[in-house]
Amino acid sequence: MSRIYLSSADKVEKYENHLVKVTMADGSTVEGLEPRRLFPVTNPDAYITLLDESGVEIMVIRALSDLDKASAAVIETSLSDYYLVPRILRIISKAEKYGTLRWTVETDRGICSFDIRNRNHDIHVMRSGFVRVRDANDNRYVIEDCNKLDKHSYALLIADT
Amino acid sequence: METMMKMLLKNKELPEGAVAIVKSLSESGDTALFAIVGDMSLGGRYGATTLLFTATKAVLYDESLSAPREYLYEDMEDVRAKRMYGNATLSAKMKGGKREIFFRYTYGVAPLCDAAALFISHLKEGKPFNEEYAIVSVAFEKALSVCPKCGRPLLHPGAECIMCRSKKKIVKQLSGYILPHTKTLIFCIFLSLFTTFMALVPPAITGFIVDVVFSDGESSVSLLNMIANAFKGEPKKVLTAMIILLLCTYVLQYGVGIIRSYLMRTVGNKTVAALRNDIYRKAQYLPMKFYDKTSTGSVINRISGDSSTLQQFMLRITQEAVVHLFQLVGIVVIMISMNPGLTLLSLLPIPFIVLASRFFSKKIRPLYRRIWRRWTKVSSVMADTIPCIKVVKSFTGEQRSTAVFEEKNKDWLDMELHLGKIVTAFPQIISFCVTCGSLIIWGVGGGKVIDGVGGYSAGLIVSFISYASMFYNPVTFFANLSDSFQGALASTEKILDILEAEPEIELPNSVTPDHLQGKIEFNHVSFSFDRTKKVLDDVTFTIEPGEVVGIVGTTGSGKSTLVNLLMRFYDGYSGEILVDGHNIKNFNLSGYRSQIGYVQQEPQMFSDTIFNNIAYSVPGSTVEDVMAAADTANAHGFICRQPDGYDTMLGERGVGVSGGEKQRLSIARAVLMRPSMLIFDEATAAVDSETEHLIQDAIDKLIEGKTTLMIAHRLSTLRRANRILVVDNGHIIENGTPEELMALKGKYYKLVQIQSMTADAERMRREERF
Repeated sequence: MSRIYLSSADKVEKYENHLVKVTMADGSTVEGLEPRRLFPVTNPDAYITLLDESGVEIMVIRALSDLDKASAAVIETSLSDYYLVPRILRIISKAEKYGTLRWTVETDRGICSFDIRNRNHDIHVMRSGFVRVRDANDNRYVIEDCNKLDKHSYALLIADT
Repeated sequence: METMMKMLLKNKELPEGAVAIVKSLSESGDTALFAIVGDMSLGGRYGATTLLFTATKAVLYDESLSAPREYLYEDMEDVRAKRMYGNATLSAKMKGGKREIFFRYTYGVAPLCDAAALFISHLKEGKPFNEEYAIVSVAFEKALSVCPKCGRPLLHPGAECIMCRSKKKIVKQLSGYILPHTKTLIFCIFLSLFTTFMALVPPAITGFIVDVVFSDGESSVSLLNMIANAFKGEPKKVLTAMIILLLCTYVLQYGVGIIRSYLMRTVGNKTVAALRNDIYRKAQYLPMKFYDKTSTGSVINRISGDSSTLQQFMLRITQEAVVHLFQLVGIVVIMISMNPGLTLLSLLPIPFIVLASRFFSKKIRPLYRRIWRRWTKVSSVMADTIPCIKVVKSFTGEQRSTAVFEEKNKDWLDMELHLGKIVTAFPQIISFCVTCGSLIIWGVGGGKVIDGVGGYSAGLIVSFISYASMFYNPVTFFANLSDSFQGALASTEKILDILEAEPEIELPNSVTPDHLQGKIEFNHVSFSFDRTKKVLDDVTFTIEPGEVVGIVGTTGSGKSTLVNLLMRFYDGYSGEILVDGHNIKNFNLSGYRSQIGYVQQEPQMFSDTIFNNIAYSVPGSTVEDVMAAADTANAHGFICRQPDGYDTMLGERGVGVSGGEKQRLSIARAVLMRPSMLIFDEATAAVDSETEHLIQDAIDKLIEGKTTLMIAHRLSTLRRANRILVVDNGHIIENGTPEELMALKGKYYKLVQIQSMTADAERMRREERF
């Protein structure tokens, strides 16, 4: 079984909602594919798999740069629809009750509050300063560089890592 | 004679009567080979007995018998060691047909008698004497679970007794961790001495304040007198000077204290980190044999718990002991120089304090242990019932399990309440003793001050009481030092058990195989875990490159051992195992193992991402290699459907990876390293038939052209096998193609019959139902 990798000769267009339609270089088309990241955490822009309705992989994009600009844009829009990961810009307040943390944060999508059940497993700080946060309902958030946070937010974050 | 007694294998010192028999045997030209010192007479009463074995006969010494009895091996048939209830017997069918019991013993010596029974029967079968004697000597070695010199129980049979082995070696081993910090430690000792000295100053000053500042008397401390003289007639100024002096001492004492504690902490942490690194590294290279007799939990404990216990003790000895000793001597010197008579008086409570602290620590420790055991019972009730809550509910056991829990919890509470009384009383009583010491000083010294006896002043009494109370700290420290020594010794023993254990054997001139063709030969391989019962007995077979071999047999027949030996998890076998014509012992261990893809029955995953779990076999693999491996293992599909894809953390809350999926990940891990040979150890035993199909499909893609060993219970797994080995009781009883074995109508034929029968029955049942 060999995998089909898309190249700049293939075109990707919007199909419906976040699904896409792929026209291969030979003219054949596949409709209703769902782009999904294979490495949403460590390498979000590489290895994007395109699954059909039943979740079977049809083809793979090695890197967005392999595609022409228009196709890459379609994929990016689709991915940003599928993966809703707010970027935390500021931690407004932190409260702790019965071992559960409650953060109120300002994100690029507005202000929200959420619970963090296990600070050891659900807050990952990478060496680079990148932070991944998972709330009690399994929603994801990121802080792109915790060193660039304001002092107050940084103090609140670092107390739990 | 002496040497002969030494050569004689025995589990205990022989009773005198038995020694006499050994002598008379040697005089008659016979040699006693080994002796089992028993504990029970044939009539079932306790008493010293001994059964001596020579090459041709057994001689029984029993003090309740008038003369030793002899049993010739040639008269015996069917020697048997039989365990009854609380006692066991050695018996044989004698010529004439009657079974005669010739030795009776309790379970303590039963393993030796088992070995002896085998020894006699094997000799009668004509097996080589040397081999049988070796087996017996191993049994004797194993029976030594107490130190032969001091009688202390050992960590495991055959271990070296830590009390009896050279202390030099232990100190040398452990000092390796302390030595890099020698300079810091010596510096710390100086700092400690300084703080101790500073601590000795304030009582002298307070005494001076009472005597000179308040009542215009004289002091014996010349330095302070000089200051007083400078401010003659102005007591307030002298007081201020004294307070400043006190402040300076305190600043110095606690300031240096901070530096010292910081340095000590750093040294301590560095030591324990180095110790942990060494134990962990060593634990990685220990052979499987070690893990068979030591639970993984206990190894983890040694790395985390015992290493810090030991580190604390090492620092205690190098630091606290020195400081306390200095303090003790310093105080006594100062006190004696001030007033020898009062010194003796203030030392009066010391014996009581020592006795009290010894008494209490002796009393409290067993109580703590009992509390710990009570608590273990409580938690074992929890560990038992909470995971089995379905069983509890389905048999309406809620009330019963609650009752059991409450009972155990009450036991714990009672114990805790009982301990509470003693634990709270202990420090109070010690303080009481200390205070009583000050009463004596007040009473006797104060009386002399009132009487105006020369050399006694109020200030002297005040300083004395301060010194006396400082004195008791080091005293209790030394009184309880032996306990922490015991604890440290236990930890040391467990740590050295790992540090000194033999790692996996690597021959110095081993070769690294780059690619194996996959020809496997077993030549007369025998193996046993404890050398008494053979798990594999004289196994010989050859597997040609590219063959797919199914290994079948009942549980405990030795199938997995075959694989364990081939993987070189155990090296202590006789005979040889050749791969591509090379003895596998000559291969470089890691090079050799990396040629074999090994898939276990229970897939074991690290708590890491899926990607890293697959790439564990080949660190630094590219994404596409890992994806290709996942494809082969039929794992890519389900990984795609995970929200986090290859970044999914295994073992995290909410991650739905089933057993069969984990198995496919472990196959992907094996695929990734492009092995030359493959081993599947019941890889499909624990999954449903649909997953089995997927795994089977993965295996089919994988085994193309590679020598493959498959251990299987379900014969359906073996449909691709072109050769079957049937293992039974450590022997290969059948070896051939499936067709040949079916034609043979042996064990394999029977297994197929049984399994197809169950499959048929299953199908019929299903058809009936629908």
